[in-house]
Amino acid sequence: METLLNPSKTPNLFIPKTHLFKPYFLHSNFNPQPHSSFNRRPLSITITCKVKTSQGRKNDGKNISKKIVLTDSAPELSNEEIKAKPKGGGKAWGVIKKFPKRVLAILSNLPLAIGEMFTVAGLMALGTAIDQGESPEYYFQKYPEENPIFGFFTWRWVLTLGFDHMFSSPVFLGTLILLGTSLMACTYTTQIPLVKVARRWSFLQSADSIRKQEFSDTLPQASVSDLGVILMGAGYEVFLKGPSLYAFKGLAGRFAPIGVHLAMLLIMAGGTLSATGSFRGSVTVPQGLNFVMGDVLGPTGFLSTPTEAFNTEVHVNKFYMDYYDSGEVSQFHTDLSLFDMNGKEVMRKTLSVNDPLRYGGITIYQTDWSFSALQILKDGEGPFNLAMAPLTINGDKKLFGTFLPVGDTDSSNVKGISMLARDLQSIVLYDKQGKFAGVRRPNSKLPIEIDGTKIVIVDAIGSSGLDLKIWALQDGTTVIVGGKTNRAKAEFPDEMNRLLDQVPEIVESSISKKPDNIGG
Amino acid sequence: MIFSTLEHILTHISFSVVSIVITIHFLTLFLLVDEVVGLYDSSEKGMIVTFFCITGLLVTRWIYSGHFPLSDLYESLIFLSWGFSLIHMVSYLKFKKHKNNLSAITAPSAIFTQGFATSGLLTKMHQSAILAPALQSQWLMMHVSMMVLGYAALLCGSLLSVALLVITIRKAIKIIGENNNFAFSFGKIQYMNERSNVLLNTYFLSSKNYYRYQLTQQLDRWSYRIISLGFIFLTIGILSGAVWANEAWGSYWNWDPKETWAFITWTIFAIYFHTRTNTNLEGVNSALVVSMGFLIIWICYFGVNLLGIGLHSYGSFTLN
Repeated sequence: METLLNPSKTPNLFIPKTHLFKPYFLHSNFNPQPHSSFNRRPLSITITCKVKTSQGRKNDGKNISKKIVLTDSAPELSNEEIKAKPKGGGKAWGVIKKFPKRVLAILSNLPLAIGEMFTVAGLMALGTAIDQGESPEYYFQKYPEENPIFGFFTWRWVLTLGFDHMFSSPVFLGTLILLGTSLMACTYTTQIPLVKVARRWSFLQSADSIRKQEFSDTLPQASVSDLGVILMGAGYEVFLKGPSLYAFKGLAGRFAPIGVHLAMLLIMAGGTLSATGSFRGSVTVPQGLNFVMGDVLGPTGFLSTPTEAFNTEVHVNKFYMDYYDSGEVSQFHTDLSLFDMNGKEVMRKTLSVNDPLRYGGITIYQTDWSFSALQILKDGEGPFNLAMAPLTINGDKKLFGTFLPVGDTDSSNVKGISMLARDLQSIVLYDKQGKFAGVRRPNSKLPIEIDGTKIVIVDAIGSSGLDLKIWALQDGTTVIVGGKTNRAKAEFPDEMNRLLDQVPEIVESSISKKPDNIGG
Repeated sequence: MIFSTLEHILTHISFSVVSIVITIHFLTLFLLVDEVVGLYDSSEKGMIVTFFCITGLLVTRWIYSGHFPLSDLYESLIFLSWGFSLIHMVSYLKFKKHKNNLSAITAPSAIFTQGFATSGLLTKMHQSAILAPALQSQWLMMHVSMMVLGYAALLCGSLLSVALLVITIRKAIKIIGENNNFAFSFGKIQYMNERSNVLLNTYFLSSKNYYRYQLTQQLDRWSYRIISLGFIFLTIGILSGAVWANEAWGSYWNWDPKETWAFITWTIFAIYFHTRTNTNLEGVNSALVVSMGFLIIWICYFGVNLLGIGLHSYGSFTLN
C-alpha cells in the first residue's frame, strides 16, 4: 500500500523490468476521479520532446486500447464497414442487404452474450437437479400436479420443455447454437478489426496532443533514440520517424480472444459432428464367446454410415482381474482376438481399463465386468455350469449369487445350496438352512461337504463388459444401419433370471443356446 | 508405521502454525497495533513453515501409498490447502516489495480446509486407500491437480472480490449517513481504515475515502489476476479431464454432475471476464458475478460429492 500513497511524479521513468505491476505504479498523474484512469489498463507514456510512446500490457482477454486508437468506437466503425453479402442489384435487395449487417450487430452485443451464458449455466444446473432419462411415471410422481414445487413446477413443465433429457433437448441445444452464433458474430465484428487496428502505426506529431494523453511526463535533457533503445530492451516494438517515436507492446494479447473463441467454435462443431455421425454400442461377453462388431454398434445420429471394419468378429479369450494383497481389485483385463471375415486372426491384445484397443476406426474399451457362471462338480458328476445373477450392484462393489437345488426339484419349495461371490476369487457357500458352510477358491479342487453333497468348485467364468466406439464418417449420405443391435446385452440377464428357477440340466442346455444369441 | 506417524506430526505442525499466523493477524487488527514489522515477518515465516509442512505431508502420503496423493476427498482437501499456501508463497516471493495482504485470505482458507479434512467428519478416510482401476492412469496427476489448483486460485480470487463488495457496500451505507464505529467484520485487511474510522465525513476526497478507494482498486486488480490464473488452470483441468474420459470411458463428455458443474463454474468465470471488458460494468458488477462463482465452486467441489452418483463417485462420502 505504501507505494500507492506516493503520488508525486517519479522521474524514474525507465522500466526495464517487464514487471506486470510496474507500469501501473508509474501512474504519476494521480486523478482523484474514480473509475477514470485506474481502469484504463494500457497506459501511454509520453514525453514532450516530441516523442511519444504508448505502451500496452500483455493481457488475456482484455482489449488493449491505446489512446490514439479508440477501441470504443472501433466496433461501430467496423460494423459499418462490413460488406454485405453480394446479392445483386436492385432496390428490393437493398433491405435484404442490410439484414445480415443488422443481425450481426445484434448478435455481437455483449450483454446478450452474457445473458446467453447465464442461461446456459442455469439450464445445466437444472439438468443436474432434475434426474435425467427416467420414465414419465417417475416424473409424474416426483413433480406432482397436486403439490407443485415453488407453486408452479409440475411434471408438465419437465416433459414439455424436455428437461428429462436436458442435454439433448431443443431448449438447451437452441441456447447453445445461439451462443455459437454470437461467438462467431463477435469474433468477426470486433476482434478481427481490432487486430488490424492495432497493427496500424500512428504517430502523434504535436506536443500538445501528447500531453493530453493519460500519462505524460517531461524529460528535459533526453534524446528520443535513447528512449527507443531502452524501450526495445523492455520488449516493445519501436518505430521511429523523425523526431517522433511510437512503440507498443502486447500484440499477442490481441490474438488471444480470437484464438479462444475459435477453439470453442471448433469444439462445438466437433461435438455436433460426433453427436450426429458416430456409432456406439456396449456388450457383455462371457469368457470364451465371441460377437460380431456390426451387431452391437448402433448409430447415434442421422449421418452415420458403417465401414468395412464392422464385419470383424471379436473373440474373448480370457477375462481376469488383478488383485491387491488386501483382496481388492486392482485392474480388469480382457484378452481379445479379432478375426476378419475369412477367419484369419488380425489382431490380439489385452485390454484394461485405461488402455483401449483400436482397430480400423473402432475403439473397444473395457468398462465393466460381471460374473457369468460358476462351474461345479456335484458328487463327482458334472461339470455343471450355474449361471450367476447379480444381486446388488453398487458401483464397483458387486455381489453375485447362484443356487444349486438339492433333493426333490419338482416341489414348489425347492431347497438347495446357495453360493455367493463378490469377485472371481472366492466363493462363499451356504447350506440348505442358509447357514454359512465355507469358502472355496475356484481351481483349488478342494471339495466341500454340505448336507451330504460334495461340491467341488472347478472354475469361475467371468464376462467382460466392453464398450465400442467408432469415429469413422463417410461422406454424409444418410444411410442408417438397420436392425441388429445389442441382442446379447438385452437377453442375457433375462436368460439368467429364468435359469435360476430351474435345475442344472436345463441350465446346461440353455448355456449351449447362448452362442446363438450373441454370434448371430 | 513410521510414515503414518510422520504424517500425523506434519499435519499437526502445519495446523498449529497456521492458527498461530491467523492469531497474529487478528492481534494486529484488533489491538490496533501499528504494523509491527517483527510480527509481520513472523507471520510470513509461519506461512512458509506451513507450506513446507503440507508439502511434506503430501510427499509422505505419496511414498507410503505408491500413488499420487489425490484419490479421494480427504487427499484432495489436503491438496487444496496446499494450493492455498502455494499461492501465498508465490505472491510473497514474487512481489516482495509490494507488501500485500493476501495472506489474510490464504491463511484462513488453508486452515479451514485442512481443519475440515482432519476433523472428525472424515476420520475413516485418513488411511491411504487403494486406487480403483479407473484411477490408475497418468492423467490422474494432471487432471485432478490442475482442477484443485484452479479451485484454490479461484476461491482466493473470489474471496478478494467478496471483500471488495463488502467494502463498497459499507462505503455506500456510510455515505447514506449511518455512522458505524466498530471494526470491519472483514477487518483483517484494513488497519489503515481503522485509524481513520474516527473521522466523520462524507466528502469524496477525504483521506479515508482515498485509502479505501486505493484498497478497493488493489483488491480488484489482485482478484483479477488471481482469477485469471485460476481460470487457466480450470480450463486445462477440464480439457485434460475430457481427454482422459475418452481414454477410459469412451466419450469426451458425459454430462456427469461433476463435469457439468465444473463447466458451469467455467462459464461463470467467463462471464466475469466478459463483464470486465466493458468499463461501465467493471468493479461492483464483476465482483457480484465472482461472488456467485464462489458459491458455485463449493457446490461443484463438495455438493456434487454429496449426491454420490455419476462417474466421479470416488469422492463421495456420507455424513453420518
